[in-house]
Amino acid sequence: MSTPAPAAARASAAAPQRRPRRQSRYLFLLPALVFLALFSVYPLVQLVRMSLSDVTASTLNTAWPFIGLENFQQGLASGQTGDALTRTAVFVLVVTVVGMVLGLAGAIALRTRGRWSNVLLAVMVFAWALPPVVNGSVWKFLFADAGLLNVAARAVGLTDTALPFLYDQYWALGAVAFVNSWAVIPFNALVFRAALLNIEPEVFEAAALDGASRWQEVRHIMVPSVRPTMLVLLVLTIVYGFRSFDFIYVMTYGGPGTATNTLPFLGYLQAFSRFDFGLGASTSVVAVLVVLVLAVLYARSISKEEKE
Amino acid sequence: MSRSAGPVNTIVKVLLSLMYGLPLLWILLTSFKSSADVFATDSTFVFRPVVTAYVEALDGALLDALQQSVVIAVGTTALTLAIAIPAGYGLARTRGWAVSVGLGLLIVLQMLPQTANVIPLFQIFGDWGLLDSTLGVVVADSALLVPFAVILMRPFFRAVPPQLEEAAAIDGASVLRSFFSVVLPVARNGVATTGTLVFLLAWGEFLYAVNFFLSPGTYPLSALLAQQVSAFGINWPGLMALAVLSSVPVLLVYSLTYRLLRDGLTVGAVK
Repeated sequence: MSTPAPAAARASAAAPQRRPRRQSRYLFLLPALVFLALFSVYPLVQLVRMSLSDVTASTLNTAWPFIGLENFQQGLASGQTGDALTRTAVFVLVVTVVGMVLGLAGAIALRTRGRWSNVLLAVMVFAWALPPVVNGSVWKFLFADAGLLNVAARAVGLTDTALPFLYDQYWALGAVAFVNSWAVIPFNALVFRAALLNIEPEVFEAAALDGASRWQEVRHIMVPSVRPTMLVLLVLTIVYGFRSFDFIYVMTYGGPGTATNTLPFLGYLQAFSRFDFGLGASTSVVAVLVVLVLAVLYARSISKEEKE
Repeated sequence: MSRSAGPVNTIVKVLLSLMYGLPLLWILLTSFKSSADVFATDSTFVFRPVVTAYVEALDGALLDALQQSVVIAVGTTALTLAIAIPAGYGLARTRGWAVSVGLGLLIVLQMLPQTANVIPLFQIFGDWGLLDSTLGVVVADSALLVPFAVILMRPFFRAVPPQLEEAAAIDGASVLRSFFSVVLPVARNGVATTGTLVFLLAWGEFLYAVNFFLSPGTYPLSALLAQQVSAFGINWPGLMALAVLSSVPVLLVYSLTYRLLRDGLTVGAVK
């Protein structure tokens, strides 16, 4: 391992052998190719077919009558798809802003070593590692009428009646979005922290000699040096917020009314509560199209970072 | 760097400590409360701890669910790694348009909302007789996690110097042999990080379990918890006891792999 030069020389001597070896490496891709074709790509094809057909619970496993774009038109005309898109946008905005800002602030605060920082980071990553269904249950309990948050709000005289965290249509969307950002902050803080730890200590020493304030350090050293990471993380956080459904399922199940029906969750409800699989599939296809746009953005931000 | 933490840093740390410390503490406290103490304001912090919730939760059904969770999580981890390790290596060592297309497809698959998969899979599994079977859930979970696992492992395989393999080839090792005895041991951190995450994600996955198992009798813990929390008239101490019991294996895995997660998690995200 410590002598790369002779190894490279030997490798060039073995050049004729390299070509078949490279090709044989394609065989390593075969299991994943077959498996994903069967259980990921084929379902997507079925999803698109379903979205163009009239499929209910009773016709699910028979021939599907083709109805073209009727499902999409129905979703748009009833206003459900549009409303869900608006709610999803608000949801993603809250998750992204809170997740990114507190993620970066957390990384800056936890960058220094010390017992408090170490323990806090470990607790945060543990919370991140817990199943969403566990975290969702706890937050549902904290948000309850007699839950901790309402007890605290009453104790400080903020309110006399219970705050309707999960029962009011505006509060509910915000509350579930907040819990989603709560769940993504530890990951973002960890990634930001790794980028911050890459900054040479000399840079901070030089800044200190020049009399830079702490805020100037953040603004002129830390933020610029995490900018490429920030771009990638931004797309990841947007995707995370967009595809999120488990906290919605656990905390509100889309309610009250339709208040927390984001686009992916609406598709799920249409298929598995109303048993209109065609309509649910059409809503999901819209969600898949949004993901395709995000994936292009992600691929771009990655290649940009690799260049920098 | 040597300067002491500023006031803003301290405020952020206090805020985060409250945000993450309190909920975790709350699960634990509530699980030891009696139903009467849960919503009594004077017993928020001071109460007589009881283990009623645990005694009630720990019955045969729970042990069945626990066993089901273990089977699903272990099975998914094994299947996912068996497929994703060779794929991650293959994508790290080959180049060209096919690889770019493959990576792009993996990124898209990884980003898809799970609700877009559950609808067609429900129909396909119905056709193939995979509904109401543990194998079906394991396969669906693996399909969900393979793209993620490949993307996370690829940079670890790329970091293995190709010269090592070339040296092994000179010594007469086949591609397969040098993969197992040279590449895999060097990339073991990546495999361990990925395996841990896949296990944790499979442990918590509930949407497939709720929809593909036709009766709660065969649910894993996560699905049981999801079903109870969305029901009316929730028994909070019982629910929190269930939450604590579902979290114990996570704590176990987590305490063994924290360093690995802390340092390895960030590799796949940005590279």
